[in-house]
Amino acid sequence: MKQTYRVVSALIALGVIVQAAAIAFGWFDAILQVEDGAVIDENYDGNAGHALHGIVGMNVMPLLGLILLIVSFFAARTVPGARKWGGIVFGLIVLQIALAILTYILSASLIGALHGINALVLFGAAVKAHLLTRTAVGAAGAPQQGTSVAV
Amino acid sequence: MPSTYSVMDMGLVDYGGGPAHEHGSGTRSVADLTGPQSGEPDVAVDLDARKESFELAGGERVDGYTLNGTSPGPALEVHQGDLVQVTLTNVDVPDGVTLHWHGLDVPNAEDGVAGVTQDAVLPGEEHVYRFVAEDAGTYWYHSHQVSHAQVRGGLFGTLVVLPAEALPETDLVAAVHNYADRRTLNGSTGITSAAAADGEPVRVRLVNTDNGPLRAWVSGSTYRVVAVDGRDVHEPTDLRDEGVIVTAGGRIDLVVTAPARVDTGGGTALVVGPRGTRVEGRPEPPEQVDLLSYGSPAALPFDPDDADRRFTYDMGRRVGLVDGKPGFFWTINGRLFPDVPMFHVAEGDVVRMTISNHSGDVHPMHLHGHHAVVISRDGEPATGSPWWVDSLNVEDGETYEIAFVADNPGIWMDHCHNLDHARDGLVAHLAYAGVTEPYRVGGRADNAPE
Repeated sequence: MKQTYRVVSALIALGVIVQAAAIAFGWFDAILQVEDGAVIDENYDGNAGHALHGIVGMNVMPLLGLILLIVSFFAARTVPGARKWGGIVFGLIVLQIALAILTYILSASLIGALHGINALVLFGAAVKAHLLTRTAVGAAGAPQQGTSVAV
Repeated sequence: MPSTYSVMDMGLVDYGGGPAHEHGSGTRSVADLTGPQSGEPDVAVDLDARKESFELAGGERVDGYTLNGTSPGPALEVHQGDLVQVTLTNVDVPDGVTLHWHGLDVPNAEDGVAGVTQDAVLPGEEHVYRFVAEDAGTYWYHSHQVSHAQVRGGLFGTLVVLPAEALPETDLVAAVHNYADRRTLNGSTGITSAAAADGEPVRVRLVNTDNGPLRAWVSGSTYRVVAVDGRDVHEPTDLRDEGVIVTAGGRIDLVVTAPARVDTGGGTALVVGPRGTRVEGRPEPPEQVDLLSYGSPAALPFDPDDADRRFTYDMGRRVGLVDGKPGFFWTINGRLFPDVPMFHVAEGDVVRMTISNHSGDVHPMHLHGHHAVVISRDGEPATGSPWWVDSLNVEDGETYEIAFVADNPGIWMDHCHNLDHARDGLVAHLAYAGVTEPYRVGGRADNAPE
């Protein structure tokens, strides 16, 4: 379970990088299109960057967050703080989606700015969760229950 | 959602405070509510639908749909009172096609909505529409099968019903459409020119075939808004500084004096004047004419205060599950598709509807088969010309009260004409007592109206 926790938390951190890259590509590409005569209004469907950002953000990340949260309960025996950081990461993913949705519902771009900041916080939390397993490995050198190696 | 269902099984039956009647049963089928089945048509048109790549007038290639080899399809022009017959042939559009006569209050079976008023016309099949063009004005036609993709891809055209007596102005249609994110006017990017003598009045029939509101403005001339959604404005006054908003699916007729230029955004404009005329376009004005107070009042043909039924069409947006899939969905009266209202009326009812929007986005609300008059916006009563609409721009935070007479029996869509929003569930229906629904969404023809 420790390995799973380790891998899933790394995937979430990687996901944040993918999301940042996808949305940067999406809007840079859109700006280049506009300079080339494209019109961006209610008819605009977005490009591959926007589509990827939507799929990863609405589907992949919440799924990974949920898996991490579930795994954290089993990993907690060998990874101190696993549950706490699993919970924080999941909560930040939920908050991230909520900030995106609120931006649209309230037509408030400033909330969108918080979405950008929260992405960095989420990245940090996912890395922290990942590093917990290293600390646990270090601790495993000390005599502990044998189960820590088994999983 | 089951893969095949009747729209009559969908949603929450709403009698709007009027008498209840049996839901979905009766003696009249939608299929029988046709236009005249006999008689020599005054205008007969064949329209062949294809899925193909085509070139815009500016040379850009677009993968989309054509009618008789072009997009936009043929600009149809008929006279008031004409019996119109259109034979639609689907040459090779895999998903099937239909034609909806947007804004023309035709009999229900001619309305062209797949799964509601007919089956989608599959490749190799044809369908004949027959109706009398009763009301002069500017309309358009488009597919109502997988419409979010087909209309965007070009399966549409304009339809003008000319009044019996000739109009005093030169008459031009300006259909605005985004193809592959390029704004076009009658299928051309950039500036389109039309000849008119100096000082000549020119009617420009703006048609918004897109998903979002169209902002248009006039340079070089004062102008008047003479018609909205195929209904004349009573005593329109001269405008200069303000622009106009044409809601998605809506039409606005302007009369300008040549030389003049009508800008429709994204670098497109229509210039009218003697050959070679250039009119400098001014920047888009910040203000738009408010149709709530434009023109002067006139008597209505019915009393909206004496309503038989009152409905609420309240749009929001929330996270939820549709078909087991999580997402961020539109809601109507707080519920997600398919739990949307089925507004029930009886023939002859005076109906009032309060449409409000707190979803964070603008919604162009289109009621099929009827024209409604705007009573108020955000509690402020209409003080101008009777403002008749079939497509109404409801901005986020706005509340409109409209009223109409239920005078066209059938099962009618009442939906958002941002067709992506409609696909995502922003659809309700208006059902008449005693009318039955023989068609199904899904089914053999894979009917998918949105």
